[in-house]
Amino acid sequence: MTRRLLFGALLATAALAQTVPSYQQLVYPPLKQVKIPEPVTFTLKNGMRVFLLEDHELPVVNGLALVRTGNLFDPPDKRGLSSVMADVLRSGGTRAKTGDQIDEELENIAASVESNMGETNASLSFSGLKETAGTALHVFKEVMTDPEFRQDKIDLSITQMDSGIDRRNDDPQGIAEREISSIIYGRDNSYGWSIEHADMARIQRADLQQFYRRYYFPKNVMLAVYGDFSAAEMRGQIEALFADWNVEQPPVPAFPTVTSKPAPGVYLAEKSDVTQTFFAMGELSGTLRDPDYPALEVAVNILGSGFTSRLMSQIRTKLGLAYSIGAGWGANYDHPGTFRIVGSTKSASTTEAIQAARAELEKMRAAEVTEQELKTAKDAVLNSFVFFFDSPAKTLNRVMMYEYFGYPKDFLFEYQKKVTAVTRADVLRVMRAHTNAANLSIVAVGNPKDFGKPLSAAGKVEKIDLSIPPVSAK
Amino acid sequence: MTFRFALFLLVPALLAAQSVADLQKSFEKQVTEFTLANGLHFIVIERHDAPVVSFHTYMNVGSVDDPSGETGLAHMFEHMAFKGTPTIGSKNWPAEKAAMDAVEVVYDRLEAERNKGPRADPKKITAIQMELEAAMEKADSYVEPSEYDRVVESNGGLDMNAGTGEDSTNYYYSFPSNRIELWFLLESERFLRPVFREFYKERDVVREERRMRVESSSQGKLVEMLVATAFAAAPYHNEPVGWASDIEHFRRPAAERFYRQYYVPANMTLGIAGDVNPAEARRLAEKYFGRLPARPLPSQYRTQEPVQEGEKRVTVSSPAQPFLILAYKRPDRHSPDDAALAVLDAVLSDGRTGMIYKDMVRDKQMALGAGSQPQFPGGKYPSLFLLYAAPSTGRSSEENEKELYRIIEQVKSTKVDEQTLARVKTKLRAALIRKLGSNTGLAVELCSYYVNYGDWRKLFTELDDYDKVTAEDVQRVAKTYLVPEHLTVAHTLVPEGGAK
Repeated sequence: MTRRLLFGALLATAALAQTVPSYQQLVYPPLKQVKIPEPVTFTLKNGMRVFLLEDHELPVVNGLALVRTGNLFDPPDKRGLSSVMADVLRSGGTRAKTGDQIDEELENIAASVESNMGETNASLSFSGLKETAGTALHVFKEVMTDPEFRQDKIDLSITQMDSGIDRRNDDPQGIAEREISSIIYGRDNSYGWSIEHADMARIQRADLQQFYRRYYFPKNVMLAVYGDFSAAEMRGQIEALFADWNVEQPPVPAFPTVTSKPAPGVYLAEKSDVTQTFFAMGELSGTLRDPDYPALEVAVNILGSGFTSRLMSQIRTKLGLAYSIGAGWGANYDHPGTFRIVGSTKSASTTEAIQAARAELEKMRAAEVTEQELKTAKDAVLNSFVFFFDSPAKTLNRVMMYEYFGYPKDFLFEYQKKVTAVTRADVLRVMRAHTNAANLSIVAVGNPKDFGKPLSAAGKVEKIDLSIPPVSAK
Repeated sequence: MTFRFALFLLVPALLAAQSVADLQKSFEKQVTEFTLANGLHFIVIERHDAPVVSFHTYMNVGSVDDPSGETGLAHMFEHMAFKGTPTIGSKNWPAEKAAMDAVEVVYDRLEAERNKGPRADPKKITAIQMELEAAMEKADSYVEPSEYDRVVESNGGLDMNAGTGEDSTNYYYSFPSNRIELWFLLESERFLRPVFREFYKERDVVREERRMRVESSSQGKLVEMLVATAFAAAPYHNEPVGWASDIEHFRRPAAERFYRQYYVPANMTLGIAGDVNPAEARRLAEKYFGRLPARPLPSQYRTQEPVQEGEKRVTVSSPAQPFLILAYKRPDRHSPDDAALAVLDAVLSDGRTGMIYKDMVRDKQMALGAGSQPQFPGGKYPSLFLLYAAPSTGRSSEENEKELYRIIEQVKSTKVDEQTLARVKTKLRAALIRKLGSNTGLAVELCSYYVNYGDWRKLFTELDDYDKVTAEDVQRVAKTYLVPEHLTVAHTLVPEGGAK
């Protein structure tokens, strides 16, 4: 610290001379040591894992529970069941109170309890002001352990899902993202299928109750709470509150394995009311456990992350063909994700932009990146590393996520080490080993009447049928 | 078990009031302000928990300041602010400057020929266009591409971006706290000596941005038509991205003129939040930003909207699912009715207990989503109070529109009950508390309140304004402003042949 001040004093002298250094001349003091808070973790008698972290900056208490389930467990004839269940878990109320009563009770104290379904986890969260956090936590517990799934809210949820299905082709970017995922994973499994009206028509209250019972039990739940409380008191409160929740179920099986085969080709979804074509291209990527993951992150950052990436500087800055273009490796904790390049361009330059993006990918596989590119990408990761630790909530969520997916506690630091060691040769090697032009699926959503060069110049075109099947069709 | 929590059910009406008062007191100690001799104002917020800092540059200039025939120019400058300076982004500045000037000479000739209208010689135009391409290519050959971005990103800069709104233009990113000086250097340089390199390529990028945000989005098109219809004369008539033909004709000298007129130090407020020492910040501010020459503030006068004398209606033909907006004229943010309008909005649509949600989404299930917004598209000048609905499958826009009118009649004829009023005020307090937990949020909020109200403390004291709002006030502002003569209705309409 003293050194930093002394350094400052020297610069002040320079200021008097009215000279300002160039950015290359600046010297930075070492970064202050990051304080990484250590959460209090324990397991309740009923098997529920708990993570607590005090944060006294604001008079607020927040909680997030992860439940080991996900929409990957949707039955094939009732796709979307888990999402309806998660919605009505909250809106359908508890045995003691209707969802509407809970709405009033929580909002009177500016608190919230919200339920969500993801691919590989469900979540139930709460937030409350310090002075009334006890009420929020109590409602949270009732919703978690004693939901009623009232029929009127099931009807509402299904109406909303049906409206969502009917609106799913309104946003061209949404279509591109959805279709590339379906094509890469295949439409016959829960990674790639879409929810239809016919699924909604089959969902009954008993299905929701059954899904809930199978997955919402203490041994299958992790709860993180952070905010303005004493950890010892909060521990006592949680232990007392959840003492009467003792339901048991067999362990939840692993998520389904990804078995999809590459589906290379050019796919066109026609949309008449746009002036831009939204495109996505990609193939199956990998998981965070892959030893090549750090090098792949560096490689794909060079290709398409941030304003200095190749895609951005070539297709946006140099060619002026896109406002938005980028790439992501897309690795997941537990199953292969999708590597994607996503962008949009005016209809007339559709084929040109797609070919230019594909060419940038090919260049990554053809030759080593430059030393400057490698340095920029690695520096970006390493110098921004501190932002992983800039709030207690981030730290707590990470600790819980690692435990949820069975990752080592020091995973992030190992990642940092491996990024430091990545070489130009590594980048080329991993791009060649993990991407394959022959596997690339390309989706274009736009108005082919206005495409300049025909899309067939990029490959044989297969049309995607966007029509939404009515209930009776299935 | 339940008894332990029963006492919490007796909720005091002004829950969180003490918390907010305490927080404002502690903020007084965390916040340091100073103004440089050139008029530039700094707000420094200390939060030392993590060695990171967020920076926010709030320019009191937006699309309301776009010159006529050059809509979108404020936004165009925002894009140019990432193009560097003579020393950042050039391989050879003297040669690059000469080449950039040569581009303008050729472009002037092109415009001169085009201006002849029907007497223009198409062959000449083609020839000059080719010359122009070559001149641009030459200028671009001196560019060190994306150098400004590269310096920020490789130093660990995070979430770098900028946005142009109707009222303001905002630039922001975060650095690890040992790189504070780099921000002072880069940010002062780009507003001291911006170079508008690659201007015409970036113009294409901006044109693509318009295609993406407006032309390829049914809601984007609808909102553009809504403001164009609701505002006959006031500058809120134009969206920040500008009209397509204006974008396509931007010239570099026009953007430079705009910069000189509006990017003056006294029009600029800088927020720094995080692990920062205010004394050091001041020293660096003097050193780097003290170099910006003082210039007069631009005029604040803008064409005023005449009183609307009857309902207006606009439809956008779209195969997308329907969307509906009702927009009522309302006064600017300095109106004594501003707080009551904010409370009315919260009564109508905040959370799961808002009137519109309960009635239209939850109980009658006629809308997938519906709500209100108290102030759109800006607050500096008189603007709009919005109500909107996305009808559920099989339910019509007409039905949703009628229901919104019914709700409006209800708030005009029946006073809101005391419990609802207390709930809304508590939620407004809690929303403020939750805003204070991030560096990026603090930097922008304090800048914004300082610029718009003259004091960042208004962020806290506006809660007192909300507290003073009575049920009578809510009823009164509904009766005053939600009137048919001041209404504009915008909705999408599925063309003949049905939705796709």
